[in-house]
Amino acid sequence: MLRVSAPERVAPPVVALLASPLGILVRAVARIRASVHIKLLAGFLLITLLFIAMSAVSLRTVAETARQTNLLDEAHERVGWSRQIEHALAMQMHFTAMALLSKDADIVALILRENNRFNDTLARLEKAAPPEERALIQDIRGSQDDAMATVADIANAVRDGRLADAMTALRTRQEPTYRKIETLVGSLVAAEETRMASLRASIAAASRYSLRMMAGFAVASIVLALLGGFVISWSFILPVREAHGFLSEVAQGRFGGTIVVPNRDEFGALAEHMNWMSRELRRLDDEQRVAAETLHSLNDRLALASRAKSEFLANMSHELRTPLNAILGFTEIMLDELYGEVPPTLREPLVDIQTNGRHLLRLINDVLDLSKIEAGRFELGVDEYSVQEIVDVVRASLRSLALEKGLTFTARVAPDIPPARGDGRRITQCLLNLAGNALKFTRQGRVDIDVRLDGAWLVYRVSDTGIGIPKNEVENIFAEFRQVDTTITREYGGTGLGLSITKRLVEMHGGRIGVESELGKGSTFFFTVPLHTDGGRA
Amino acid sequence: MRDRTVLHVEDNEYNRKIVRQLLSRTPYKLLEAADGEEGVAVAQRELPDLILMDVQLPKLSGLDATRLLRADPRTARIPLVVVTSFALSGDDRRAMDAGASAYLAKPYSPRDLLALIHKFLPEN
Repeated sequence: MLRVSAPERVAPPVVALLASPLGILVRAVARIRASVHIKLLAGFLLITLLFIAMSAVSLRTVAETARQTNLLDEAHERVGWSRQIEHALAMQMHFTAMALLSKDADIVALILRENNRFNDTLARLEKAAPPEERALIQDIRGSQDDAMATVADIANAVRDGRLADAMTALRTRQEPTYRKIETLVGSLVAAEETRMASLRASIAAASRYSLRMMAGFAVASIVLALLGGFVISWSFILPVREAHGFLSEVAQGRFGGTIVVPNRDEFGALAEHMNWMSRELRRLDDEQRVAAETLHSLNDRLALASRAKSEFLANMSHELRTPLNAILGFTEIMLDELYGEVPPTLREPLVDIQTNGRHLLRLINDVLDLSKIEAGRFELGVDEYSVQEIVDVVRASLRSLALEKGLTFTARVAPDIPPARGDGRRITQCLLNLAGNALKFTRQGRVDIDVRLDGAWLVYRVSDTGIGIPKNEVENIFAEFRQVDTTITREYGGTGLGLSITKRLVEMHGGRIGVESELGKGSTFFFTVPLHTDGGRA
Repeated sequence: MRDRTVLHVEDNEYNRKIVRQLLSRTPYKLLEAADGEEGVAVAQRELPDLILMDVQLPKLSGLDATRLLRADPRTARIPLVVVTSFALSGDDRRAMDAGASAYLAKPYSPRDLLALIHKFLPEN
């Protein structure tokens, strides 16, 4: 049983890869009981989810940065307001000093204006300030109220002309109050600036964090996409490679192998089917092999039987001829009076014995010829021969018979026929058969032999003015033991095998035989053989 | 001139009888052998003037006997006629290949056999 295992068929770098944990992952993915469609979808979904997560994280970071930037702007604004407060305070001090110097109480209105500006700005600041700064702002407001009360006192003193009192109030009450307010606003500004610094640091950190997150996600996505792509694609490529190797084996005629894939998807099902196909092929191959072996041994037995038959025929040939030789030999030497004078009454039966003995001999020869042809053991003795010589031999053999029957017997050979190649003795036998038959079945008239060349073919014709053949018998005339009717055998003799043997011999030369006949008027038998042949079909 | 001898190697008694009768009125002296081995032995001992050898013989086939006689310098030149079973079966070719001087197909006419003997051993 052929076993196809994975590492045998993949390229070396892949072997190393498949032996690593990646290979385990590939096989794990292959083993997942899900369709290829689902696996591909899951792979794409995984990557898509990664990108969605990355986008969400980015959005969150951007929102956080925006919020902190907003806080920074607010702190900035509060610092601006604090500066305005400081300015308003400076203006108040300036106008208070001016009021003292010019002794003009109207300037107090200017101080009030600055005071209003101060309070408005402080109110805005208080509203926007974080809770921990509220106490500070309350202190500032309290101090400002003190300052305003002092301003009112100073203004009253200036109006009443108590300049010394006004000066004292300015120096002992107003100035420390203003310095206190200044210090308070300064610490407010410092707090805001600290807050701003920390916000800036936090924004910078957030942006760094966001950058790192993005990079991390990008790298993770790429790695995951590569890994997923690799694992999923190899989980499909592996069975395809396996199948490729497996089918190559099958194509080379090595059936019955097994394909082993870890896949439990369509590829797994495909492998199952291929294994099934392989088993079926193996089974059919085995069956076919058994059938071929059976046929082979049957063929051997047939060949053996055929050889036995041929040997039997050869033996029979000898065994039949030996006693026949004795019968014909004794008859002849008796008729030749080697045993003394033959009485006239005995001469006729002795001739009858001789005639029948010769007929038996012809029968034996014909049957043996036919048997050999049918057993395929008949070989043509191919050599060069002369058509004229063949016709001469046939004429010489049959001249006495024609003379006896009082028939005109002519033979004409076209003068342009070159030496031919084939089995001359067998061609002679064919022509002798046809001409012998013609003479046998003709009571009066003539028998003519005609041979001519038609291209590369020799055409032998024997026409007679004999009894002819009925149309419905023409087809059967070349079959074994066929004579038009059985009474003919008695009247004309013949074995009924001559035409059949002639047909076989002509066909062995690659030629063909035929007859044209009209009942009561005569027949023309003809056969064609190639001028040059080394034997046609057996 | 001494009588010329003809050796007939043939296992069938009746066929031997025919040749015996055929040669009874001729000056030829007849020797007989009933199998191939005996035929070779008689030929080597008697050195006949003509050998008639049947093809199918017990112990040693006519063709093998012919080859043995042709290989022996004493008998190599003796005219030898092989009597084949069936001229058309290829026996004739095999007979000539084995070294026969001529062949005669069985069944033969005693008249033809006598003519062949005369051809090899003219009667002056």
